Amino acid sequence: MWVKLILLLIFCVMILGAVHFAPAGKSEPESSSAGTVYSLRLLTWNIGYAELEDDTRAHDKDLPAVAEVIMRHDPDAVALQELTGNAQLKTLLGLLHGKYRGAVAQKGTGDRFEAVLVKDTGATFTPVTVGARYAMGASFRPRDGTRQLVLLSAHADAFNAARRRTYTEALIDWAQARAQSSEVFIAGDFNFELKAANETNLYTDDLKHDSESYSHILRYFRDLGRDAGDTAINDRRIDYIFGPSSLEHTGRVEVLRDAAVGRMDHWPLLVEVGF
Amino acid sequence: MLTLLKLELEKLFRARSFYLSFIVLIGFVLLMLWGFYTYAARKTGGQAVEQFKYTYESKQYFNGLTFALYSLLFSFTLLLPIFVSMSAGSQIAGEARAGTLRMICTRPISRASLVLSKFLVTALHAALLLTFFIGLNLIVGLIFVGWGNLELYPGPLNLVDAPGKIMRDDALMRFGYAALSGTWALLVIAALALLCSVIFESPVQATVMTIAAYLTLYIVGRVEFFEHLRPYFFTTDMDFWRDVFKPDIPWQSLWHYACVCGAYTIGLLLSTVIIFERKDIVT
Repeated sequence: MWVKLILLLIFCVMILGAVHFAPAGKSEPESSSAGTVYSLRLLTWNIGYAELEDDTRAHDKDLPAVAEVIMRHDPDAVALQELTGNAQLKTLLGLLHGKYRGAVAQKGTGDRFEAVLVKDTGATFTPVTVGARYAMGASFRPRDGTRQLVLLSAHADAFNAARRRTYTEALIDWAQARAQSSEVFIAGDFNFELKAANETNLYTDDLKHDSESYSHILRYFRDLGRDAGDTAINDRRIDYIFGPSSLEHTGRVEVLRDAAVGRMDHWPLLVEVGF
Repeated sequence: MLTLLKLELEKLFRARSFYLSFIVLIGFVLLMLWGFYTYAARKTGGQAVEQFKYTYESKQYFNGLTFALYSLLFSFTLLLPIFVSMSAGSQIAGEARAGTLRMICTRPISRASLVLSKFLVTALHAALLLTFFIGLNLIVGLIFVGWGNLELYPGPLNLVDAPGKIMRDDALMRFGYAALSGTWALLVIAALALLCSVIFESPVQATVMTIAAYLTLYIVGRVEFFEHLRPYFFTTDMDFWRDVFKPDIPWQSLWHYACVCGAYTIGLLLSTVIIFERKDIVT
């Protein structure tokens, strides 16, 4: 009898221990402190559709909704991915009532384009060649007297982790070369599959390539949206905004989960930073 | 109780399966060493270096501690639970199959003490297996691969979400913690196998049922269809043992899951005692 009583007692202690040490629910991200002035607000959004659609690039009918989100959140610069081309960019700039200037990247081996929109009228746009693909960079000053910033809109290969790695290496080389004279931000859809718990294999080359790519970026940049959660359907965090490691203040970091329209499979990621 | 324990220990050390489990683990370490060696050679030279400009997989990364960590994580999921199931599954059912259970139960000892002593011996077997495996990996790693710090990267092994590093001496301490946390996690399997050993008359049946239950929950837990069921599987809670390898050990979460595993173990053990006390032994 005493054995059973002791076992019952230990069982109760274990249950109480499990309740006592239960991790607290995720707390809300810290709100910005009153003394910090956030001088930059960035947004990245892959506005393309999910794989099941005939045309997975951005759809013209969704552009008013995209413009509405941009106007509502008023970012200083926006990185967009999967536009069909310059015509869509022009339509979008029109819907933004001339508040933004923008440019699309050159066409690479794929059928879709990256684009950057910035508020600064003096912004300059630079196409960036990254192997067989292209990214789009914009140099601008969000406020008068602030340091020049560069925002890169990037989109890494969706189907091949080795190609994502090569792309990331070239992109970081380009960014590092400019980091001496400007604060560089890289935003876009990198398609990194880093949730190993979702993999059925214990160790795969694809997982390792994505790990190498992400770790390489983190050597020089900070992942500003790390705590914001998934950015695409199927619990994937594949859209990122990377900023200089020296950044001291980050304010609002949010995935705008009510923003997607039609069959979009990504949500926009919004990040506020201060210098 | 002490005499019972002594007798059970004698039985354990006389069993051929006890030594077989250690021999298989040595074989696994040799296989891992071959795989690790050839993989490291491929990734630090030749085509891999030509294809990519930057990599963390340098000669400094591939060291004895990394080897031991990979070997331990790979084997813990599938190899060690099999041996623990075999050891625990044969405890009562093995006696029943050999025809000695009836005789043991006629002696002036309580059935609860018998179950408890058999469980303690199984727990010792699990602890010895894990400690031996960790020690062997570290020794083989030191001799054949060399020492260094333990570098961790997001993705593979799913331990960190940003690159991190554990210094050599601290990392060795973490392997010590892993021997404790890993044994505690394996006790859930041991308790389940002991329950099966009481329910089924054959040790093979008890072992197979335990492994089947473990593998089913482990695999189902990895299929997205059952994502919402995952938190209710003991296989999910057992994963807590790996947290000791995170650069900053999440102590609160570790204690939480350790208590959950403890509740599973003690709950199953209590059920085993109750069922065994009511069981009519006819073999």
